[in-house]
Parts: sequence; structure tokens; C-alpha cells
Amino acid sequence: MSCSSTEDLPDQYKELFTQDGVLLKACIGRPISDLNSIGMLCVVQNSDGTKCIEWRPNDLITIDSDTQDQEWAVVNTIGRRQRTLSGNMTSDYAAARARIVRIPLAELKTFKVTRNNQQMQFSTKSGVWQNTFYFQHGNAEIFVAYLKNHVKTAKTRHDRNTYVVVESNIDSQALNKSFTELDIFTENTTDVVWSLVSNFKQRPYETTMEAFSKLTDIVWSVLVYYGNEGLNGKRDVSEEVADLLTKSMSALEDTTSITKSDEYEVITVKPTLPPRPCIPRGTPLSTEKWEGLQDTEGRILEVEGVKQLIFRGGVAHSIRPAVWKYLLDYYPWRSTHSEIRKIQKRKTEEYFSMKLQWRSITERQESRFSEYRERKSLVEKDVNRTDRSHPFFAGDNNPNVLLLQDILMTYVMYNFDLGYVQGMSDVLAPLLLLLGNEVDSFWCFAGFMEKIASNFDMDQAGMKQQLLNLQQLLTFAVPDLAKHLASKDSGNMYFCFRWLLVWFKREFSFSDIMRLWEVLWTGLPCANFHLLICVAILDAEKDVLISKDYGFNEILKHVNDLSMCLDIDKILSTAEGIYHQLMSAPHLTDQIRIILGIPTAANNPNDRNEESESEDLGDEEPGRENARNQANGYTRI
Amino acid sequence: MAKTYDYLFKLLLIGDSGVGKTSILFRFSEDAFNISFISTIGIDFKIRTIDLDGKKVKLQIWDTAGQERFRTITTAYYRGSMGIMLVYDVTNEKSFENIKNWIRNIEENASADVEKMILGNKCDLDSKRQVSKERGEQLAVEYQIKFVETSAKDSLNVEYAFYTLARDIKAKMEKKQEASNPPGARGGTHQLKSNDQQRKPPSWLSRCSIL
Ligand SMILES: Nc1nc2c(ncn2[C@@H]2O[C@H](COP(=O)(O)OP(=O)(O)O)[C@@H](O)[C@H]2O)c(=O)[nH]1
Ligand SMILES: [Mg+2]
Repeated sequence: MSCSSTEDLPDQYKELFTQDGVLLKACIGRPISDLNSIGMLCVVQNSDGTKCIEWRPNDLITIDSDTQDQEWAVVNTIGRRQRTLSGNMTSDYAAARARIVRIPLAELKTFKVTRNNQQMQFSTKSGVWQNTFYFQHGNAEIFVAYLKNHVKTAKTRHDRNTYVVVESNIDSQALNKSFTELDIFTENTTDVVWSLVSNFKQRPYETTMEAFSKLTDIVWSVLVYYGNEGLNGKRDVSEEVADLLTKSMSALEDTTSITKSDEYEVITVKPTLPPRPCIPRGTPLSTEKWEGLQDTEGRILEVEGVKQLIFRGGVAHSIRPAVWKYLLDYYPWRSTHSEIRKIQKRKTEEYFSMKLQWRSITERQESRFSEYRERKSLVEKDVNRTDRSHPFFAGDNNPNVLLLQDILMTYVMYNFDLGYVQGMSDVLAPLLLLLGNEVDSFWCFAGFMEKIASNFDMDQAGMKQQLLNLQQLLTFAVPDLAKHLASKDSGNMYFCFRWLLVWFKREFSFSDIMRLWEVLWTGLPCANFHLLICVAILDAEKDVLISKDYGFNEILKHVNDLSMCLDIDKILSTAEGIYHQLMSAPHLTDQIRIILGIPTAANNPNDRNEESESEDLGDEEPGRENARNQANGYTRI
Repeated sequence: MAKTYDYLFKLLLIGDSGVGKTSILFRFSEDAFNISFISTIGIDFKIRTIDLDGKKVKLQIWDTAGQERFRTITTAYYRGSMGIMLVYDVTNEKSFENIKNWIRNIEENASADVEKMILGNKCDLDSKRQVSKERGEQLAVEYQIKFVETSAKDSLNVEYAFYTLARDIKAKMEKKQEASNPPGARGGTHQLKSNDQQRKPPSWLSRCSIL
């Protein structure tokens, strides 16, 4: 792209990537008046070749665009931007220019993606997030994926959402390779293995499955049992796997191109998913294995390996209290025994000081503090009707009901803006039942809430987004059921509301919900796996729902009545099977990839080689990126 | 398969969290009360068929979660409802004040001619009462809505409330039918119409499924 027409910008200034509809939420050193305005977040290249993340307020972009013709603007965004940038230097324009936020890539230390992937924070020095952006349209995934082309990142051990910049301004080719090795392999072992399976497509199903089970065994043993040396072992295996992966990918592409070359086939043959593998569940993480995973000082080193084991089989009940504290981010995985003691001490003090805050509110204060009163009244009402039929919470004046109330009230003080929302008492009850201890339960609850905070948004945006994502997944994975639901005005998936709000708490017994939650807390094998749990449950009900031609009311009733009639192991196994089906589907769309948090086609090294003639991806035209994003519906003009 | 009812009415219970909506529904559908009832998440409905002036009336009663932030989801289920029970708790002033907000909520989300009724629940808890019966009656007059105090616990006026609402809906519906009947064709035609209703659920049902 040529920018020679822009007067006040350096000759070689280039917009490499742009994302519209991004709100500047926080920026250290800027007046409040600059905040909360909408703009465009870009990756730009300066004349000296250095790159920057740049945010520009919309008033700068649209400053002199008297041509507001919608169609023209859509077709020619880049042109419009250039034109406006080259406009008159009015004083407004200068003021707006002063509001541009720049973060040189060379200085970027870490970034973090939170709030349902809609919020990004950047930091150029440790300990402070200097800038916070909110992605109003779609989410930050595409931006992150693009950013990863320019900086080499590693995810921090304790927080999957935080990326540490290991090396900035790297050569993209080299990065793509390491990306395959690092990201895909360490995070999604089973993905890679399953992708291999698609190589054996022509063989009978049984053979494939046999091969698959062998392979997974090998890879897991490398990951889990090699311990420290596994780091080297991992590399080697990963290269092999990457090779095989590339092969299998090209095999898949062949199949698609054959179909493409025959126009009739395209129309008549609907793309179907590959057969669903039946993946047996593993055994729960045992005490011995858990102890073996800690070093002499108590650190857990092979975090990904532990998570894999938990994903496969859950956790033995006796060690749940210990393991859950890590899974729920109360204890960092790599902390030593003595560090843990310190954390416990600090968190205990913190808890009780927050508890004291509300305990010391007098009646007279309360009478003039309506927001507090409302929250308190909601909590009181709900603890009295939470799992009271379970012996642990049953009977009059049950002290555990009071504990439930104290923890929730303290959480209200911890997060007053969110306050108490119905469903929270359900989320807390199994934690308290298991941990027994007030402080531990509180912090584990707070950790769980971090994972599902968007479920309780005031505007329910998080719930709506999930219901929409679920509908998209179902349409791809079980199209006939999705079609049936849509024809019965149930396409909005509202009947799954209860499942999602409290992560299936109402659908399973205590022992089953503990199993399901610990598996989901691992974050494996992909983002939003809980939505695939929904798909798995619905898939099992498909025949009933369709053959009995259930309508709007019956669908809701049937789904509500599934409560306590579901087989957790079967569902987990099916959900994982569906995951692998999706991963190996040649027609997998970016929409689905984004939901599952896997690299999109735009970010997939294999596709990229095919598409891009130029070696240096940094030179890729933003126009092309834009077109692609528009096709995915992620960039709005 | 023979239809087991003449009419099918969709009813809705709304009101603040904890006022006793689920308990009222449980009392009406199972004739039971459970002090430690589970709180409602999302939406559900229960069915009970009643006999009303010789007609079998199937009531499909929808119960929703009360907390404000779930309203965007729950109001999706308002459409097609023919009767709405607005419930407050006589021991909770706030829940009474909120009835006005709930009425506004109905006006925005339900059909204009929906039948309404106000219930002041938990009237068994006289010692904790914050809202007098007179204030309830006054509010009802103000909005021209029927009103009754109930107790799901003591099974007081719950049957009465549902029968009254159902009867009002039935009366309104029959009046409409009559109005749409061509004059001079009374009697026979009316009978036919009524039979029609038996085989095919009334038109609002199809409306109700287009939520
Ligand atoms: N004393 C008394 N308590 C009631 C009555 N109805 C409901 N409750 C109690 O009030 C609480 C909330 O009731 P619930 O039906 O769950 O309210 P909802 O949120 O409106 O569905 C429960 O603990 C019930 O036991 C009533 O008529 N009398
Ligand atoms: Mg309820």
C-alpha cells in the first residue's frame, strides 16, 4: 500500500492491520476526557521500519469526510482513511492527533486478553497496565493473532490470558514455525494427534481409532512422564508432529480441491464431519501421581501435563481440596510450600478484613444504604433455597447455610459493582461442600467467578454471546438439529440458559458436577469447551427432539427435564469426540475457530504460504486483512 | 389422539425474586409447599388442567427468574401469554413498590390485551407484614387490575387467583368470538366454532409459538 499522498505522515508509514470499533478504556497519563472514546486500533510500520500499536480516535478518522456515503465507505475503507488523514490540519484535527496512543512494539513487555476476549491491556513496564482497550465489535482474537506475527510471545504459566513478549520485531517466517511448535503442541496435544488421524482417512475406521489410541499414549507419556527432560523430547516430537500435520493438511486440501474442480459435487455433496472418535475417559489423577508431580519444595512444574491428566480423568476425590486451589488460581502452580503458607496467611487476613467491613455496618447505616440492603436481601433469600435437600445444607439453623451467606456477603464487598447475582449461591455450594473452610471456599469461588464473570454481566451480553456461539457450533456440528430448533423458534438457544449460567450445576449431582467443573477448569482442549458439552448433550437428544417434532414449549420442557438424568462420563467423552471431529473437518470455518480459540485461517501457517506471494508478512496489505476480516464479520466499518 | 381440553391458556408469573412465584406455582400444580424450595434459574413452566363452567381449560403457567438483569432473557417468553400474575411479598415493601415497574415491563413486552392480576403473597406472615391489604387494593384500583392476598404456604386464595384469571381470559375470548360471528348465524355457528376450538388450539397458541 502506498501512502505517498499523506502529508503529515512519514513516507513509509504503513497501516499493517486495523481493527475498528475499539474503545480506549484506560491510558496512564491521559486526561479522563480522552477516555471512553471509540477509535481504531492498528499495527503500523514507521518509516524506519519499527512497528507500533497505534490507537486513533474516530473523530480523527472521520474529521473531514464529507463523503459519508455508506456503500463507498464500506468498499473502500483504506482509501477513506487516507483521504481523511490527508485532510486539512484544523485545530480539531491537531487536538485529535494529540489523542493518538502509541505503543512501540520494541517496548511492549506483556499484554493480556480478558473479559470474554473483548478487552486487551498492554504494558511496557512490568507491574502496570498502561493501556486498556475494549473491542466493541467482535473480539480481540484476530488482533492478537496478528500481533503474534510481529512479536514472539509466551503465555505465562499462571495466567492463560497473559502473554509475555519474548522477542519483538521478529522475522515472521521463523515465528510461524515456533508458533506451530509451541502453541499448538503444548496446548493442544490431542489436536495434533487427531490431525494425524486424518492422514489415515482412507483406512477403515477401526484401524484409525487403533492408531489414534496408540499415538495419544505416546504423546501423553512424553508430555506427562518425561518431566524436565521432556522439554527436549517435546521439541523433537513436535517437529515430527508438525511435519505430519503439514502432510495431513495438504492431503485435506487435495480433497477439497477435487471437490472444488467439480462444480456439481460442490452443490450436491454437503460437507460432512469426519466420523466421531470414541475417546474413553481416563482415570482420575491419583494421590501418588499428584505427589509425584511436585518437586521437593512443592512446586508443580509440568503444569500442562497435570492439566492434561485432569482433563482426561478428573481428580481423585481425596485430593480435590488440594488440586482445586491451583485450578481456581488461589495458589500459583509453581509456588513452594513456604510460599503457599504465606499466601494463605495473606489471603486469610484479606478475607477477614473484607468480612469485617460488612459485619460492622450498623442497622442505622444499613437503613440509609439501599444498594447494600438490596444485595444483602438477595443473598439471604438465595442461601435459604440453595441445595437445602443436601444433608450438608439441610435443616433449620444449619451453620453451613450461614457460611454460604457470609462468603457471598464478603464477595459482595470484594466485588460490590457486580454485587450478588442469582446463580452465585449455586456456584459456591459445591466448593464449600468440598473445601469446608470459609477462607478457601471464598478464594476458590472468587477464582471460579473470574472464569465466568461475563455470565453475570448487567446487560447479559456475555450470556447472549455464548448462546450465539453455541448456536453457531451446533449449526456446524449437528446441522439437522440446529435446523429443527430454528424452525421451532428456538434458534436463540435460550433453553440452554440455565446450563450456561451456572455451568450445568442444576443438571448434575454434586459428585458429577465436581468432575465436570474440574475438567472444564483446565481450559483444555480448547476455549469454550463448555459449549461443546452443550452440543454433546443436545446431540444425544437429537433423535427425540426431531422425531417427536418437539415444538418451542416441548423443547424447553425436555431440556429442563434432563436435569439429573445425564451421564457425565459419556457427555465428556462425546464432547471431546465432537472437538476432534471439528478439528479435522476440512471445511472448518474461521467463525468456529475463533469460538474455540484456535488460530484462524488468516493465522494458519499452511494457508498463509499458499496465499501470500511475498515472504515478508509484515508487508501484507492491510486491505487484504480487512477484506478477510469483513468476510468473517469481525471488522465493522 | 383426542384432545383432553377445550382451551389452552398461557399464563405468566412475574415479580421480584423471592416473593413466592415458584411456591405459588408449586402450590397450584402439585398442591404442596416446600420452605427450602430451590431458586429459579432461567425459565420453566407447569401444566394444570382445570374445569371451568363445563369446559376443560389447560393452563400452561410460566415461571421466571426475578432478578432484574435476567429480564432481557425472560421477557422473550412474555409474548403470547394471555394472563399475567404480578406477585409481591406483603413482608417486603420494595417488592410492592416494584409492581409498578413490572407493569411497565409488561406494557413493553406483552400483548396489550393481556389479563392481569396482582397477588400479595405470604399473607400468613402477619407479624412481618410491611404492606397493608388496603395499599394493595388501592394499587389495584389505580391500575384497574384485580387483586387478592395469597399464601402459598397456607394454600390461601391460590386456587381462587388462578380460577379468576382463567375465567376472565375465557370470558374475553368468548366475547371476541361472538363479536366475530356474523349476526343471525348465532347458535349453530357458535356451537361449531366452539368445537373447532376443541380440535385446534385457539389462534393465540400459534402466536405463542412464534416467540
Ligand atoms: N411464609 C411464607 N413463605 C413463603 C410463601 N411463599 C413463598 N415463601 C418462601 O419465600 C421464599 C421464596 O419463594 P420462591 O417461591 O422461591 O420465590 P420466587 O423467587 O418468587 O420464585 C421461599 O423460601 C419460600 O419458602 C408464603 O406464602 N408464605
Ligand atoms: Mg422462583
